[in-house]
Amino acid sequence: MDEKIAVNIRHLTKIYKGSTEPAVDDLNLQIYKGEFYGLLGPNGAGKTTTISIISSLIKPTKGEVFIDGYDLMKDLPAIKRIIGVVPQEIALYEKLTAFENLYYFGRLYGINKSDLHRRIDFLLERLGLVKYKFTKLINCSGGIKRRINLIAGMIHLPKILILDEPVVGIDVQSRNLIKEFLKELNKDNTTIIYTSHIMEDAEKLCSRLSILDYGKLVEQGAPNELINKNSDCSSLEDVFLKLTGQSLRD
Amino acid sequence: MKKLFASVYKEGLLLLRDIEGVLVMFIMPLILLIVIALLQHKSFQNITEEKIQVIVVDFDRDELSRSLSEGMTNSHMFEITSVSGNDSTLLEQARKDVAGGTYQIGIFIPPNTTSVVKSRAVSLVQQQINSAIKTDLNNLNAQGQIDLFFDPITKESFRDLVKSTLMQFSASVEKRIIFEAYSKFIDALTNQSSELDYPTTPAIQFNESLVSEYTSGIVPNSVQHNVPAWILFGMFLICIPIAGNIIKERSEGSLARLKAIPVTYLQIMSGKLIVFVGICLIQALLMILVGIFIMPFLNLPKLQVGGNIVALFSISLASALAATGYGILIGSAATTQIQASAFGSVSTVIIAAIGGAWVPVMIMPAIMQKISAFSPMNWGIHGYYEVFLRNADTLEILPDLGKLIMFAVICVGASLLFRKYAKNV
Repeated sequence: MDEKIAVNIRHLTKIYKGSTEPAVDDLNLQIYKGEFYGLLGPNGAGKTTTISIISSLIKPTKGEVFIDGYDLMKDLPAIKRIIGVVPQEIALYEKLTAFENLYYFGRLYGINKSDLHRRIDFLLERLGLVKYKFTKLINCSGGIKRRINLIAGMIHLPKILILDEPVVGIDVQSRNLIKEFLKELNKDNTTIIYTSHIMEDAEKLCSRLSILDYGKLVEQGAPNELINKNSDCSSLEDVFLKLTGQSLRD
Repeated sequence: MKKLFASVYKEGLLLLRDIEGVLVMFIMPLILLIVIALLQHKSFQNITEEKIQVIVVDFDRDELSRSLSEGMTNSHMFEITSVSGNDSTLLEQARKDVAGGTYQIGIFIPPNTTSVVKSRAVSLVQQQINSAIKTDLNNLNAQGQIDLFFDPITKESFRDLVKSTLMQFSASVEKRIIFEAYSKFIDALTNQSSELDYPTTPAIQFNESLVSEYTSGIVPNSVQHNVPAWILFGMFLICIPIAGNIIKERSEGSLARLKAIPVTYLQIMSGKLIVFVGICLIQALLMILVGIFIMPFLNLPKLQVGGNIVALFSISLASALAATGYGILIGSAATTQIQASAFGSVSTVIIAAIGGAWVPVMIMPAIMQKISAFSPMNWGIHGYYEVFLRNADTLEILPDLGKLIMFAVICVGASLLFRKYAKNV
């Protein structure tokens, strides 16, 4: 096992109950430690299914996944300690304050109280949320909730952070702050796996990315590599459209 | 352990932030308890302690009428209202009152009824002791007459019961008069005064008890029945907010986030279990306090809780665990809030009906009594009955406790299986 690999996906297939078409079809991927890795694809391409499997939220139909050398099917508790998951939904409790939400998730990770208090304060400060520390989420804007959602997923400082559309539906300022924060985190050696529909963000943020379509890997590489490889394309969006086509998806 | 505390902390905060919801959880079952106890009070009195309203029109005003009234009063079956005199309007009014339902029975004792009985007794004794004495045959064959008039809605069996009871009383009065006549006659013959009184208690007494597997012979009043019944109902109704809480967590994605955290589903559910069991116990305490302090103000009997507080706490805790476990199962199995609240409320009503919350099991048809044995509310109500009415200790209610705890374990176990195999959890 290559120690540089953070996530190793081998022949991964997922067919949902009641469906005949695989959502993920014999996917092979290696994501290296310290990478900022993008998973791109049109709707229904299999991005969310793939990261849901990596996040241990759903089980694969076939194939193997190793995370930091641990087998997903056998070493789940160890894997849960080293990954952080930021779901697309604001998966928090609206009637609790920012602090109460973060404190709850932090305690579930087993972080001791004094460390947790310090860490919450630091992260709230870093993401411009200090004044919302004791505000119930129900009274916060979408951008604030999304930033708290991000902190909740990384309160335990995971080695690998998995984010599903972390900047969807928020204003430019919040989006920029989150992107800067993620870049900084990545510089500190956190491996980031990221899905997005915003090609511009992926092009700027990701050190490497893969484009999926119909559950299969279509192309993989650094954004510049992919653009250079397709000489008729001037941006990642052009490459994306060239590889996945113009037809609308469900 | 710290994960469990974190879950309890979060659930507690969520509940406190929905104080209106918590109040509804406490107040609605209390209102239900008071309303149903008031509604059922009369029915329970019919089963247990309601007396037959009787008006006695006493024109005799002598020993027989007095003894009859006393005997009937002492039997605890009758509530006697006596009117005496010799005005025929009294009789007319009494008839009207009975016809109007104020009294179920009217008894008219005509003038000189006691004299007729006494004369007949004396004649009988004289003839018996000394046939040479010329006895007035008219006296010997004389018969007094007591008129009975009944409310027309009374059943024939009821009328027969009352007639036989009255005949028993009048026969005992007649026996005493005969005994006294004998005593006087013997005293006259022997020239001595015997001071022997006719015994007031019968030679044979009947020891009566109700034989029922259900309540060990105890018939509760409306408060003794309704407090445990609605404690159980209120507890099981908590399945709706619990299920709602779980489904909300799932639909908003928090449960998915929790799935990616090194915490077990059992730890998460245990947090809910502890908090909602606490709510159920507070609810039970409030119901008991209402039974003790509020019910008497509403002219209802005061709740008697028995003396075994440990047993009372045990049955409350086991019932709360069963109810909360049931809520966790519904929350884990249902896919939408509508599904959970519809199933939760209807199933609670069914479990309550079968379990004897509305109609006590002891007066259910035999087949329903058998079905009732499968309802967790029945186990809980039975346990409370035993503690309240028989002063049972924890050991005596162990079968009920065991069934309730087993039910809770099965529910939580089934919800863990749903978590493992169902896609929606």
